Amino acid sequence: MPEESMTRSATLPAPTALAGGRRAMREAALESERALERFLAGIERRAFRIAQLALRDHAEAEDAVQDAMIRLVRNYAGHPPEQWRPLFYRILRNRITDSQRREKVRRAVMAWWPGGDAEDEAADPLDSAMDPGGAPDAVLEGEELLARIEGVLAGLSSRQREAFLLRNFEGMDVAQTAMAMGCTEGSVKTHYFRALQALQEVLGEAE
Amino acid sequence: MNDRMQELERKSRAAFDASVGSLPAATRSRLARSRARALEELRHRRLRWSSTWIPAGAAAAAVVGVMLWQGERAAPLAEPALAAFEDLELVAGADELDMFEEDGDFYAWAAEQAAGDVG
Repeated sequence: MPEESMTRSATLPAPTALAGGRRAMREAALESERALERFLAGIERRAFRIAQLALRDHAEAEDAVQDAMIRLVRNYAGHPPEQWRPLFYRILRNRITDSQRREKVRRAVMAWWPGGDAEDEAADPLDSAMDPGGAPDAVLEGEELLARIEGVLAGLSSRQREAFLLRNFEGMDVAQTAMAMGCTEGSVKTHYFRALQALQEVLGEAE
Repeated sequence: MNDRMQELERKSRAAFDASVGSLPAATRSRLARSRARALEELRHRRLRWSSTWIPAGAAAAAVVGVMLWQGERAAPLAEPALAAFEDLELVAGADELDMFEEDGDFYAWAAEQAAGDVG
């Protein structure tokens, strides 16, 4: 009897194997989706703040992060998870650059259009109001420092600003930053150092 | 890198982290919606992939199966062709060439006989 069942299972393996393969594929897809969700949930707020610092526009920063998420999922979901962060920031960086170019063109056009800028929608102050968590003094001090840093970053070259945002704020290592910026590691080190120097010159004097 | 720069790095990072932690609820909510939309896109792509390639794979497997089956059925038809090939071998075989040589002798003898008759 056991021999018979063995023969039976040996002669009919295909449907079981196919079903098992399909189930394994489905489980792998679900696990990959969960990993991607964890990654995006862990990165979205920092990415938004970085985009906001680069673009200085709340709504545009939200759009940039959403676009970067969709493009990452669309083009790189199958890549190894350790590559997602530099890839995501590379996409975000390109999106920010596009947005800055569009803004430059828009400003150039509006300069020829009397009163054009006045037609822009005023930003909702609630959108930019921070959640009052933590000790008020510490929050105020942090916000003040960040506002000053933002001012200095605005005056840096885009490469120096990117290197600072990714290395210091996002905590990426030199290799990941180089991948995200599409340049060499030596270049990242140089840009980052120059950014720090500029910040020290301005903020150090104020202290 | 000097100590002041390291201190600047630490302070600025702490200020940034604090600003991330105190993002407005509306922004956090919109970011979560963006994430959900991106993952929805992933599910749609997988669904499109499976609804296109799995039937295509099944169809390809079916075509290969039919071709193999037809091949097996077509195999006996090859026998007459094989027989014709064997006939050709017999005709062109060395034995047959010997026969031609013998026939050549016969024709030469017959020609001599005919000449004798005339003479």
